[in-house]
Amino acid sequence: MSCVTTVGIRSGRVLFERDELLAALSSALDVARAGRGRVVLVSGEAGIGKTALARVFCEGVNGSATVLWGGCDALFTPQPLGPFLHLAEGASGSVTNLFEAPKSASEVVEALLGLARAGAPLILVLEDLHWADEATLDALRLLARRIGTSSALVLATYRDDELDRSHPLRSVLGELATSVEVSRMAVPRLSPTAVAHLAAESDVDAAAIYRLTAGNPFYVTEVLAAGGAEISESVRDLVLARVAPLSLPATALVEATSIAPPSLDAALMLAVRGEAVDAVEECLASGVLRVVNGGIAFRHELARATVEEALMPTRRLALHRAVLLALADADSSSGDLARLAHHAEGAGDADAVLRYAPAAGAQAADVGAHREAAAQYGRALRFAGGISESERADLLERQSAAHYQTDEQHQAIAALQLAIECHRRAGDVRREARALSRLVPQLTCPGFIVEAERAALDAISLLEPLSPGPELPAAYGAMAVVQLHKDDLEETIVWGTRAAELARSDGEDAILVDALTSAGYAEVMRDGPAASGTLEAALVLARRLDVGVARVLNNLAYGAVLHRAHGLTERFCREGLEYCADRDLDLWRLSLLGAVIRSRVDQGRWAEALDAAQILVEDPRASPEPRVAALLAFARVRARRGDPDAHAPLDAVLALEPQWDELVWLGPIGAARAEVAWLEGKHENVASVSDRALELAILRRSPWWVGELAYWRWKAGIQDGVLNGTAEPYALQIAGDWRCAAVRWADLGCPYEAALALSEADDEQALRDALDELYRLGARPAAKMVARRLREEGVRDVASGPRASTRENPARLTNREVEVLHLVTDGLRNGEIARRLFVSPRTVDHHVSSILRKLNVGSRGAAVAEASHRGLLEDR
Amino acid sequence: MELYVILRRGGWPTGDHLREAAARSTTEGARMADDVRWIRSYVTAENDGTIGTVCLYEASSPEAIRAHARNAELPVDEIVKVADTVIVRPDPAPVAA
Repeated sequence: MSCVTTVGIRSGRVLFERDELLAALSSALDVARAGRGRVVLVSGEAGIGKTALARVFCEGVNGSATVLWGGCDALFTPQPLGPFLHLAEGASGSVTNLFEAPKSASEVVEALLGLARAGAPLILVLEDLHWADEATLDALRLLARRIGTSSALVLATYRDDELDRSHPLRSVLGELATSVEVSRMAVPRLSPTAVAHLAAESDVDAAAIYRLTAGNPFYVTEVLAAGGAEISESVRDLVLARVAPLSLPATALVEATSIAPPSLDAALMLAVRGEAVDAVEECLASGVLRVVNGGIAFRHELARATVEEALMPTRRLALHRAVLLALADADSSSGDLARLAHHAEGAGDADAVLRYAPAAGAQAADVGAHREAAAQYGRALRFAGGISESERADLLERQSAAHYQTDEQHQAIAALQLAIECHRRAGDVRREARALSRLVPQLTCPGFIVEAERAALDAISLLEPLSPGPELPAAYGAMAVVQLHKDDLEETIVWGTRAAELARSDGEDAILVDALTSAGYAEVMRDGPAASGTLEAALVLARRLDVGVARVLNNLAYGAVLHRAHGLTERFCREGLEYCADRDLDLWRLSLLGAVIRSRVDQGRWAEALDAAQILVEDPRASPEPRVAALLAFARVRARRGDPDAHAPLDAVLALEPQWDELVWLGPIGAARAEVAWLEGKHENVASVSDRALELAILRRSPWWVGELAYWRWKAGIQDGVLNGTAEPYALQIAGDWRCAAVRWADLGCPYEAALALSEADDEQALRDALDELYRLGARPAAKMVARRLREEGVRDVASGPRASTRENPARLTNREVEVLHLVTDGLRNGEIARRLFVSPRTVDHHVSSILRKLNVGSRGAAVAEASHRGLLEDR
Repeated sequence: MELYVILRRGGWPTGDHLREAAARSTTEGARMADDVRWIRSYVTAENDGTIGTVCLYEASSPEAIRAHARNAELPVDEIVKVADTVIVRPDPAPVAA
């Protein structure tokens, strides 16, 4: 163990005003020790004492737990999974090589949870998450998901005042907020009393210190160290004043340390300034630097940043050069690529940047840190003045792929377009065409369909005159994707089939999966779920190759949703969500959630639809399509219930501003707006909100959208007669055959639509049935219309609200509660149940407490016993 | 948070039932403190002899009100958003239940 010079708050290990926080950490550790692991997010401004808190807590644990300690570095582009590469045992112990070169966040999490299960509880401290790379954030997310069944306690610290709206940590914090295993802890400033205690031994006026520092412990320490001579100075001046009296070699050492966060190791010290080693003692004695893990570092990051900023530009350049040389000479492992690239840029050394940054980018991309990968390629491109078009194109393509992975679509498109220009200038037609094909899905995703079609056409016309190669089926496949986004099913099948034939004969399996997926999806959309042969074949192939599985399942789910095949939707969504959860494919997971939401609205499971919709709208990573599905669910369900605020989500949809003129957008949006207008009795608005959508639906021969849009127009009195190509149940309704339509809707499992069909009857019993069903669904506005018709026809004793029996039955468990109880019986925790049922953990929490109350028991175990005693769990 | 009026007409046969419901409502409200805040209620005497309420809540969304009602087993007939508040006089002394 190396010695630690802690000059934190100087009164030894005593922290002022942190007792409550320490007690909360202790009880979190107790819970973790009992096998219910926890994550505690510790936040506060720079200098507030987050590290000191973690250190004192870990020291207090006294060996009853394994403590591992890792921190994120203040590099512009950090090392992927950096905190896990240099884990220290305890706050100051030697570095353990738990991971040589981790391949992914999940590998890291697996190993850590393995440790936590093996013996004593594990405390993992992760510092400074505001600097974390993307893979580290993924690891934190995975840890939080799985920690509940381990005996690990994760303390993760971050500066909450450095998170702007788009900071990647924000979405992670948002996601973790819903988890019961995660709690937050804000470290407050010190009170005037505590500052007075700290200042007791100095002759500085405590009130003046408090005024200057506002109770920030780091500032208080600096002011006290300055002896109060210049109490009015800024913190910057205080820090520099502490460095100023040092000898020249000591100053050089301090400066070198400042440009090499987080620490300068012994080898680097020697290499950078051999004679400065003698100055180490001087630096340590002055309290500017401290010893860490076989190297030296600043006592606090704020001090490091201050010294670095104060360096003259030429001095900084020289220091970066020296460190770069030393690192490069050290025959360093590939683990230091990010550091090498950092110093190469600082040294302004273009050759070194081009040597290290692309390699660091590739390494980052390998472990899923795509944001850092994009930044490394961007760094290389800034120094790419002297390289060939082909090399530049390569960097741009890799940067584009990294942006695409992090859903930075506009940057991804821009980089790929630049790459295409490079290929064109270099006269490399095949690579230009390949890049054009790759551009297509990037353009269709945010809705640039016209541009996507142009790119696909360009690629095809470049390739068709050439000899055959793998680029042509890829271009045909890209064209199929374009046609799919235009909802032109016939054209999708033509291009997809053409691509599949070529890809099959060339043995291009990945392209084949893609082409079969497009063509197969179009077949399902056109002919219904029974025609899913091609798509199922694509699924088998995709599973075998493990490529494109999420896309196939997503397409199967959306195809089933459109045809109101709810059983199939649930099956494909369940398979898809499991697949995505295992691989952390969040964008596909969110997309599948969109299908779940639509299906539940159609099934009359409105509360559950909105539970899932809430999860989706709160996730900034959701793409437009599922986000629109969620917002429209809010609008439709509110309107159907007669709740307020149905228009706010519609306005939010229109404010999203992708390019709208395609059925894939206008179908659902037009249908929702038409239904809301009809329910509000604004029949005159129904036409204008659905005109274009209906036009497109007819043009694209889409029976379900033709049917639904025509139906609301028929209800509003602006549509007579059945249009060609209308889906069956709607055609029956518009033709006046409400009885068959109601049966058909009931068969499909769409109770609201079935009740509306009954409400179109001229038969008193059917109208009464419609009324009961609408009240049961909580569809007040439609129920009111039916009640009014019954009264107008002279019917007496028309119910004016739901019958008491359907409204209140406190002793009985709802179907959902029974479902939750089954999962509780299986031993699942709330977080797992939430993921299984696509709802938030808080909702599960509510269900569980409702179950306990209804069964009049005090614990989950007792609930299971009571439920099986009462026979509630038998009809599984 | 927006302000909403919630109608729960004829939800309970007796005052005792209502009091039990109020206790559940308070417990549930404490659990959902970020999403719903119960401001006040007027208990209504319905023509059929049952008891109902007109409640004033602050809530993050209509769904939050429904979730609260579902968990506390309260009926909801109608949720209306409050656009403006005009207070002419303070409430008179509470009427004994």
